[in-house]
Amino acid sequence: MMPNKKRIRLLSLLFLLLFAGLYVSLVKGSVKTSFVDLWNFLVHGDQTHAQIFIHLRLSRAILAFLVGASLSLSGAILQGYFQNPMAGPFVVGVSSGASFGAVLALILGLNMTFWGFSLQNVLAFGSGFAIVSLVYILSQKRGVFKMETLLLTGIAAGALASSLTSFLIFFKSESFEQAVFWLLGSFQLADWNHIRVIFPVFILCFLISQRLAKDMNLLVMGDEIAQSLGCSVNRTRKIFLVVSTVLASSSVSVSGIIGFVGLIIPHWVRLLIGPDHRYLFISSSIMGGVFLMFCDFLARTIFSGSELPIGIITAVVGAPFFIYLLNQRR
Amino acid sequence: MLKSQSLALLLLLLHNPAILQSQSLTIKDDLGDTHVLGNPPQRIVSLAPNVTEILFALGLENRIIGVTRYCNYPKEALSKNRIGGMVDPDLEKIIDLHPDLIIAFRGNPLRLIQRLKSFDLPVFVLEAGTTLESILSIVQRIGLVTRREKAAEDLIDHLNRGLKNIRDRLKNVRTRPKVFINLHGKGLWTSGKNTFMNDMVSEARGQNIAEEIPRAWFSYNREELIHKNPDHILVLARTEKDFLEVKTWFIQDAHLESIQAVQNDKFSFLDEDLVTRPGPRIFEAFAQLARILHPSCFEDNR
Repeated sequence: MMPNKKRIRLLSLLFLLLFAGLYVSLVKGSVKTSFVDLWNFLVHGDQTHAQIFIHLRLSRAILAFLVGASLSLSGAILQGYFQNPMAGPFVVGVSSGASFGAVLALILGLNMTFWGFSLQNVLAFGSGFAIVSLVYILSQKRGVFKMETLLLTGIAAGALASSLTSFLIFFKSESFEQAVFWLLGSFQLADWNHIRVIFPVFILCFLISQRLAKDMNLLVMGDEIAQSLGCSVNRTRKIFLVVSTVLASSSVSVSGIIGFVGLIIPHWVRLLIGPDHRYLFISSSIMGGVFLMFCDFLARTIFSGSELPIGIITAVVGAPFFIYLLNQRR
Repeated sequence: MLKSQSLALLLLLLHNPAILQSQSLTIKDDLGDTHVLGNPPQRIVSLAPNVTEILFALGLENRIIGVTRYCNYPKEALSKNRIGGMVDPDLEKIIDLHPDLIIAFRGNPLRLIQRLKSFDLPVFVLEAGTTLESILSIVQRIGLVTRREKAAEDLIDHLNRGLKNIRDRLKNVRTRPKVFINLHGKGLWTSGKNTFMNDMVSEARGQNIAEEIPRAWFSYNREELIHKNPDHILVLARTEKDFLEVKTWFIQDAHLESIQAVQNDKFSFLDEDLVTRPGPRIFEAFAQLARILHPSCFEDNR
């Protein structure tokens, strides 16, 4: 077990970064604003830039944080669940499945809402869940559960879902540029309604996983051992599968497909503070959120007056770093 | 037949609901949202290059406060504030400009338009039509919403006269050469049914070989190209250099020697910006195209 100090140090650093991220996200943008403007707005209620601060920059930063946190919590759960550091919302096909549902809703023009959830969210979750269940069922042979089969089936089913998505997009979308922003993710249209959807979802999923974190620690030791230590394996596994699917698909339905976060962040956190899921879940969530918040900040500020799809940033920043981490460990 | 077409156009314009509504001083945009026509807007943001071109053509230069990074014509547009692209406009910048009219176009994603509206910004949305004549209706409605009705009417008259002149010249054409439209830089990218390109080619008394395919832009099949054997290859490019590149590619690398157009060296260069933007300049492109396909009809004067 890692010393307690290390975990606390990481968490404080993350909170520090979180505030730094919020600060730069609020102050910097294509419209020139300074600390003084922000101060005047917060303290003196100066309304000149109110819309920009509240409805564009703050909502965007918070949404990026929530999506990053959801994706990386989902990844943390899946990596524990499959006892495999390669797992992540992409690898098991959830992201691609969810994206298919969301795009389908988008293209069919289904925009009804139930209790704040759009049909798009529901379809995204439905198809994400369908893919995961399919993968799960296919990888069980005569009651025996095979990890490799599961990952490989996940990759195949994910590829199928993403090619169907691309098919829909390229046939129906008005332009390729538009498609790119979906396929590589973007927060350019972030608004408070998105946050209203994803915030309760994230909090609920987070609380559930935190509560079951101990059981996840047992599951990692193997199902038989977990069972003998008093964990109801099947129930716990089912709950975790649903939770990780809900997290990934709700993220996809608000921001499109954002790769890499769900894979590298939990992995990195595990390297830093060890495999205890009670700390892993919360640290991964915050780190994923902070990471995506900074990535989005870059996506909208690197080229002034034009947006980059955020998937480009997460991969450009994430991939080399990931490779470096892997090399370090060896 | 030509007369009946112009008559139909006239009737269309007269009966256009937008015109009738203008008496009650409101106009519906293509999303069905009602806009009240009050005082002429003073701070206009354009979300598409063709809209910018129309606004300039209506003499609204001083009222345009923001254009996209693709708006490069007329060159005065280059000195306007850039508000990002068509798919990724910079919301902050737009809000900060405090526009009293934003003119959006297809190509701007619907979700983006809704997002702009959520800030109580007046967004007027225009659907692109698919024919040359639908451009006239776009001009007319931009004229209405910017309160430049007279200027729009004059522009439409001018464009109509040009259109009629070409149609008159082509009226005795019997043979319709087969045309392959090729967009520079993307392999065999071409344009199908229900596009301006297709309408332009058919108005210019040509036949788009991809006309039965119901997609706007797509990559054409090479075998099909050889089979259809076009008489003309129309290259849409930005520069002469790009055009020559495409031509060289067709002649040297693409193994399309058997095609009539390649054998007779019938390659023509059309300015990509001119033909892909549903604005006033598309009529210039149309005139060029008519000359390319039927030079004999234009021999008497230039």
